Amino acid sequence: MSNPVSFVFSSAFVIIAHAAMLLNVYSSGQFTDVKDFAILAAAVVAMDIVVTILMLTFGQHAHTADFILLLILGASVIFQSCFGGVSFAKKHFITCIAALASCRVGYLLCRDYKWLQTKKKFIWAAIGIMMIVILTLTGSRSMWIDLGFMTIQPSEFIKPLLILACATSIQEQQNKHKILKFDIVYENLILFGIVAAVCLLQWWCRDLGSIPTFAAIYASGFLLRICYPKAKFSTKTLIFAGAAVAAAAVVGIMFAPAYVKERLFADIWNDTSGSGYQQTQALIAVADGGWFGKGPGKGELCNIFAHESDIVFATISEEWGLLFAVMTVLMLLLLVAIPLVNPPRSYFHGTMCAGVCAAFTVQMALNIFGSCNLIPFTGVTLPFIAEGGSSMATSGFMAGMIVAAQSPVIRKIKPKKSAKTAKSRKKGGKAA
Amino acid sequence: MDPQNLLLCAISAAALDLCVLVLIISAYREKSSAKKRWQKISADMELVEQGASYQLTCDEILIGRHASADIRLSDMSVSRYHAMLGVSDGVWTITDLGSKSGTFVNGVPVKKKILHENDIIIIGSRRLTLRKRRDTKK
Repeated sequence: MSNPVSFVFSSAFVIIAHAAMLLNVYSSGQFTDVKDFAILAAAVVAMDIVVTILMLTFGQHAHTADFILLLILGASVIFQSCFGGVSFAKKHFITCIAALASCRVGYLLCRDYKWLQTKKKFIWAAIGIMMIVILTLTGSRSMWIDLGFMTIQPSEFIKPLLILACATSIQEQQNKHKILKFDIVYENLILFGIVAAVCLLQWWCRDLGSIPTFAAIYASGFLLRICYPKAKFSTKTLIFAGAAVAAAAVVGIMFAPAYVKERLFADIWNDTSGSGYQQTQALIAVADGGWFGKGPGKGELCNIFAHESDIVFATISEEWGLLFAVMTVLMLLLLVAIPLVNPPRSYFHGTMCAGVCAAFTVQMALNIFGSCNLIPFTGVTLPFIAEGGSSMATSGFMAGMIVAAQSPVIRKIKPKKSAKTAKSRKKGGKAA
Repeated sequence: MDPQNLLLCAISAAALDLCVLVLIISAYREKSSAKKRWQKISADMELVEQGASYQLTCDEILIGRHASADIRLSDMSVSRYHAMLGVSDGVWTITDLGSKSGTFVNGVPVKKKILHENDIIIIGSRRLTLRKRRDTKK
């Protein structure tokens, strides 16, 4: 471990922050049985301690991103357990553990990019498989696969795969082919094709809220691609790309389904019991909560549909206050800002971090601005805070990518021994 | 909300703030240790050319005439994307990217070659030397 003092202080302060939140729940929370609170407190503190101990065995160089994730997940469990009365949110706790495990998998897969670059085709194949799964199992007006005991949103899993596809192909930017008068990079065309197909599929599923996230991931990859290997923007390409995005947005709005157009131009205060119900209730709840909130479990927004996912920012604002809600957003921003403090040393990891940052930022913006009526309501989840297993697992994996960029493995790929040299060595050995 | 609960709420928010602050400080401490680790990975090398020195700060460095190159050599004898420097386990390697005038290491034309300290790299009419980084602060 390179920074034992930082490690000890970080782990201690994460536990202190969670303990202070739990103290707030104990003193001003609404619960009928103290056992409910005790289970919640034990689960959160146990998660902190166990994950900290496990971190010691990971052998990473940097741990800050892990601690930020632990801080967010602990706070998330406390928030979700308090909605509508303190009661341990067992399901959400399990998904948080899944997110931590997924983060570990993400780190192990992405830390050695030279190895990962050799597996590029598997990433493309995985995207293809996910698209076939969506086409065959979700149906044209749904984004969920119902397994009976749980539901899965397969489009969520495409997000990290798309980030990896962007990052693994960035080195190919030097591999240009002259076609007519243009320098063409084949992988750029393949990537564009993949993103276009994914966006069309999302349109077909009516999961329009995910399209901006996919577009943002591709846009970040595209920007880094046109200025590879170092930031130097080509003005012409940027103007062309900007014009293409604006044209696509205009065409998208023109041909959008009726319910989307209705949401785009709706005045929610004219229809407070119809299409504007969730947003008006969310805005009233944010105003009701004030700076310090009504108290954990004392909110009324918990009676509204999707209070724990789509309008979770408003639910936190009502019960915990705007101060806590803003702090939650700050914690998420801190996680994506870590690569700015300690920049990655390879273009692969840089592209990967940019993709994760774009995905998280767009998701946060869609969720928070949507519930505050600054943009139309999209139903996109707030990473790590909102309930949802698929979202948690993929967000955890993406956090793992940030961790991998902080503790990368840069090693030499051993050249493969050819069959000829192996045979000649054998012969030489026998002769001797 | 009564004053006691309000105070507790403010304390828990302050604890969260403090934790975020500690994590930010921790991130900056990790930055300096990451720098030291990078110096080890990169063998603390730099490229120098008649008074100018180029820091090797990441594991792939493009040398060329193009504005996007990491080490930009504004010389018509240098191709836009001329050569790529790469590092692994403290060993620097140079790869020629199909340049017109070629890449030479110690006078020998190369496609891909492992570099050693004080090797002279000739790119177009430019002459660069790979050497141990000298601390300018001293």
